[in-house]
Amino acid sequence: MLKYTLRRILGMIPMLFLVSIVVFFLAKAMPGDSLSGEIDPTNTNPEYIAEMREKLGYNDPVYVQYYRWVTDFMSGDFGKSTRYKMPVAELIGEKLPNTIFLALTSLLITYVLAFAMGMYSGRKPYTVGDNLIAGFNYAGIAIPSFVAGVFAVYFFAFKLNWFPFAGSVDIEIDKGTIDYWMSRIHHVMLPAFVLGMFSTASYTQFLRNDLIENSRKDFVRTALAKGTPLGKIYNVHILRNSIIPLVTFLGFDIAALVGGAIITEKIFTYPGIGLLFLDSVNNRDYPTVMAITMMLSAMVLIGNLIADILYGIVDPRIRLG
Amino acid sequence: MTTNAATGAVKRPEKSSSPWAIARRKFLRNKLAMASTVFLILVIILTLLAPFLAPHLSPIPDITKVNISKMSIAPNGDHLLGTDKSGRDVMTRLLYGGRISLLVGASATAIVVVLGTIVGSVAGFFGGAVDSLLMRFTDFVLNFPFLVFVIVLNTILFGIVDGLWVLILVIGLLSWGGVARIVRSKVLAEKENEYVLAAISIGTPPAKVIIKHLLPNVLSTIIVQSTLLFASLIVAETGLSYLGFGVPQETPSWGNMLAFANEPDVLQGKPWIWMPPALVITATILSINFIGEGLKDALNPKSQR
Repeated sequence: MLKYTLRRILGMIPMLFLVSIVVFFLAKAMPGDSLSGEIDPTNTNPEYIAEMREKLGYNDPVYVQYYRWVTDFMSGDFGKSTRYKMPVAELIGEKLPNTIFLALTSLLITYVLAFAMGMYSGRKPYTVGDNLIAGFNYAGIAIPSFVAGVFAVYFFAFKLNWFPFAGSVDIEIDKGTIDYWMSRIHHVMLPAFVLGMFSTASYTQFLRNDLIENSRKDFVRTALAKGTPLGKIYNVHILRNSIIPLVTFLGFDIAALVGGAIITEKIFTYPGIGLLFLDSVNNRDYPTVMAITMMLSAMVLIGNLIADILYGIVDPRIRLG
Repeated sequence: MTTNAATGAVKRPEKSSSPWAIARRKFLRNKLAMASTVFLILVIILTLLAPFLAPHLSPIPDITKVNISKMSIAPNGDHLLGTDKSGRDVMTRLLYGGRISLLVGASATAIVVVLGTIVGSVAGFFGGAVDSLLMRFTDFVLNFPFLVFVIVLNTILFGIVDGLWVLILVIGLLSWGGVARIVRSKVLAEKENEYVLAAISIGTPPAKVIIKHLLPNVLSTIIVQSTLLFASLIVAETGLSYLGFGVPQETPSWGNMLAFANEPDVLQGKPWIWMPPALVITATILSINFIGEGLKDALNPKSQR
């Protein structure tokens, strides 16, 4: 197992290298100075630009520039935002907690809902309740998240006034108080639900089918014959087997949350990394764009890696030579 | 449309049913899939007829011109679905927008299916070093966060190539990984059959073995996949346009129309502007998914229905 994990981690390095090269050349293809952000885009004096380019090493060979960028990036220097005139790392650090909070809440909602609904459907398949849940699942998988999000804002924020329609916290509340956290939770609920809708639906469906399949297995019949109560069979014997694949989805979730957060944060004007990314593209703040691109790409890679490793850990039946 | 392959293939009365005839019969009996097919064909016909229908539907059939005197009118007799913030008829734009959204979805699907099938079948057929090289490359492409890269690529290419085709190309080039993997696994299983060995042993060139022997046998998988892809690539277009990085803003598309919902006053008080595209997108996606599920069921020889 350890050998496999190490091999997967080592296998990620060339992938990370390739991705960083792609991001680097995309950054070079972008207009202006999108790697460091030191050149003031409003100053169009050709002498100034030429001087700055020389100073920042833009006339060096490409591989030297790449090496400099990568080493800077790994030491946490993501360049300087042309819009906010501050280091991109600081800018990201400001918004990242919001996105992480959103993602974690979304995961929590997903797992709680999927568990409750999946367990119910799996125990009572082909009943009215199961069919209702199946209908919800189909909608959750087929309806695009931005359509669902727009409708959610319209009904739950504007018509029913249950949730705020924008932001991550009320402005007038002091930081650190209980009210502050309540307000944050209040703000994050709706976007988190929309963000997790797709995974909730697919997990529920998965858990249901797995429960039904496992309930026909021999060990269940043995347990029944021994006189084990049905509730215990479901909650202990079957669930333990069905939960395995669900755990491995966690890694893919990290990757999916990356893309999902961009759309969800836009719909709910939730100030996180996704919204920062979109605003930066719109304001031609290319150093920020490229830093976020690199960061999100790395996160997808890490997410897939976690999925692979968890897959091996939780199910010893899977032998990965 | 990919559906036609299954629905319109055989006309003879049933002597001994071919697999396609069986699939067609199963599909025709699937009410949900049939209703969805009818709906989708209706949508396609309506959008194709947009230039002919527009003059009858609204007094201002122009889809790009701004009319300051007719801004944000609620639905009435003149404008069945009202007008948007620039005074353009929503119904007319919905029809024209459907053309763009469906065109982007269909073209990107075509790119994805062709690329994915070529990569997948070559990797599966040759195996060995070719296989591992191609599959590593596929992993590499699948590892990019799709949305982020489409937006970045779109920003770079914008202005160099015509906006609509940039979008189609970028979506297509970033999405073929899944199809390649599926086709590869099917080809891997299929090539173990003796008829493939026989074909190779009499000296059939690899290209011919792949095209004449292997692909027809994985075609049903490709058909189902491309249907489901069509739906998800329409979602990709509308989602990107909603974010403002899809189809150029002056061209109406369902996503561009939905983007009006980004303004709180439109979202809250003028639902006739954003609700029609939102509902049409949902209905179209749902119907394509139902068709896909129906096809999957019909083409699966093990299913009983």
